Amino acid sequence: MKSVIIGQYIPGKGIFYQLDPRTKIVSVLFIMIAVFMLQTVTQLLVALGIALIVLFLGRISVMKVIKGLKPIFVLLIFTFVFQILLNKEGEIIVDQEMQLTIFSVIFLIVAFVLWRVAVKFLKYRFILFLLFVATVFTILIFVDFGYSIVDSFNFRVYEQGIRMSVFVVIRLLIIITLSTVLTLTTKPTDLTQGLEKLMHPLKKIGFDSESFALIISISLRYIPTIFDEANKIMLAQASRGADFSEGKLKDKLKQVISLLVPMFIIAFMRSEELANAMESRNFVPGEKRTRINVLVFSYKDILTTVFSIIILASAIMLRVL
Amino acid sequence: MGIRFNEVSYDYSSFAEGLYTAIRDINLSITEKHEFIALVGHTGSGKSTLAKHMNALIFPTSGSLEIFGNIITSKRNKNIKYNSIRKKVGLVFQFPEYQLFEETVEKDIMFGPLNFKISVEEAKRLAKEALNLVGLDDSYLKRNPYNLSGGEKKRVSIAGILAMDPEILVLDEPTSGLDPAGKRVLMDLFKDINQKTGKTVVIITHDMDLVYQYFNRVLVMNDSRLIYDGNPDDLFKRDDLAEQHLDYPNTIKVLKHLNEKLNLNMNVYQKTNEDALKEIERAVSV
Repeated sequence: MKSVIIGQYIPGKGIFYQLDPRTKIVSVLFIMIAVFMLQTVTQLLVALGIALIVLFLGRISVMKVIKGLKPIFVLLIFTFVFQILLNKEGEIIVDQEMQLTIFSVIFLIVAFVLWRVAVKFLKYRFILFLLFVATVFTILIFVDFGYSIVDSFNFRVYEQGIRMSVFVVIRLLIIITLSTVLTLTTKPTDLTQGLEKLMHPLKKIGFDSESFALIISISLRYIPTIFDEANKIMLAQASRGADFSEGKLKDKLKQVISLLVPMFIIAFMRSEELANAMESRNFVPGEKRTRINVLVFSYKDILTTVFSIIILASAIMLRVL
Repeated sequence: MGIRFNEVSYDYSSFAEGLYTAIRDINLSITEKHEFIALVGHTGSGKSTLAKHMNALIFPTSGSLEIFGNIITSKRNKNIKYNSIRKKVGLVFQFPEYQLFEETVEKDIMFGPLNFKISVEEAKRLAKEALNLVGLDDSYLKRNPYNLSGGEKKRVSIAGILAMDPEILVLDEPTSGLDPAGKRVLMDLFKDINQKTGKTVVIITHDMDLVYQYFNRVLVMNDSRLIYDGNPDDLFKRDDLAEQHLDYPNTIKVLKHLNEKLNLNMNVYQKTNEDALKEIERAVSV
């Protein structure tokens, strides 16, 4: 959980740290819209290149972002596979006859067991997974003897399937990278202040942007705290014999309750303490407040905004023309 | 047997700040019988991390430790029943809020014993016994643990561990937040358990008066290292305690001060207030 980089602020230097949060939010929004306007893989690759240049300019280590993207990889693989399997447009690229016989079922089970055993003892789980998938395909293609369980079927990959899967994956990558840059370089408090300022005009239609920003910043602030507390509760209950990795399902259910009840109680206690602390420092909801850090635009902000507008404009041009 | 630490280190990792070493190269041996040990050190010196190792709640980053014959290393071992270690070494956390969750005190104390497959009737009996031990009467059994005062919650959480009847008892600041009388009651209870049953008791505390008065072995942590392991008498005879962020017991402080100001020659090493008073009377009457 600690290696999850999405939504985490890491102190550092570089141009993105000096920008006004409003600029960053607006620019990221513009570029995201631009990315959604693009229609071909080539255009997207160019966009990915631009995203990498942006990372480089901001002196953000690409490795760090890739490391942080790890939990997203599962999602990316899923989208990739679904696009390939379900999209049936365009020319057929792969057309392979496959059989499922008694023997292939046995082989599949053996392969599965081997894979699970290998995962236990070896590193490089991802490579092992790919090997397993390849083995499954080989078995389905070449094992054609024995009593067949279902009629032979064809495994087809269509041109459009490949194109769309690459397209969607690159698009997701760009968007996640962009939003990671935003959260990586902006303190949550700055981020909410930026949002608050940006949504300020909505007050006319009855939307209270200040309260909204306050709610967001408090929630963000308390995520690590609550996580920490959950960990402590888990240890306290484990030392009373409720270890989550041992015991039967029925016991585990009881153990979950022993975790949840203190969680809620502590969360309520915390919120009450926070409310008292805020009130004793004279916080009045809805009252006008001053800020320690006042947001100021600099020429860098103007440049960044212009840059993102240019990108959005060119994306629209590409779409229209 | 008991608990033996062998070059144990533990690192906390965080994305922004990298590694933080909480304890470093700890070598320590605690026998399972007749020890009464105080664990002291300033905030953040690694006391609680050390305590969490004692019942295998967390595993060392490097080094190993042996708890009742089970070797604990950085990896979880499938052949070790970690739950049974926690039955043998009971650890009471500093804040009772982290463990109370049932709707009655009785049920909450029974949670531990029931996890260790003790029958309901037996668990009920143990709960009652443990509750009486910590100085609360039977009327508390049916009360809601969240409606108790801070000190009462603390006692209930201690009873929750006592009911498991562990061989070694580890308590993280059991006396913090209690009034002086309550402190004495609990310390007398732990001493009593130690003497009657012979169970080893390890107590984390900041109260040097208690350390001086009650314990026969004291462990001092400073900057993630174990810097002293011995009896409190020798510890408090040293002059460099301030460097270890430790304080002297009140009796020693007061008597030293009087010696200086009034130019007396009293023996400052008196454990209780009564002994200190007697020493003063003796010095004044001479």
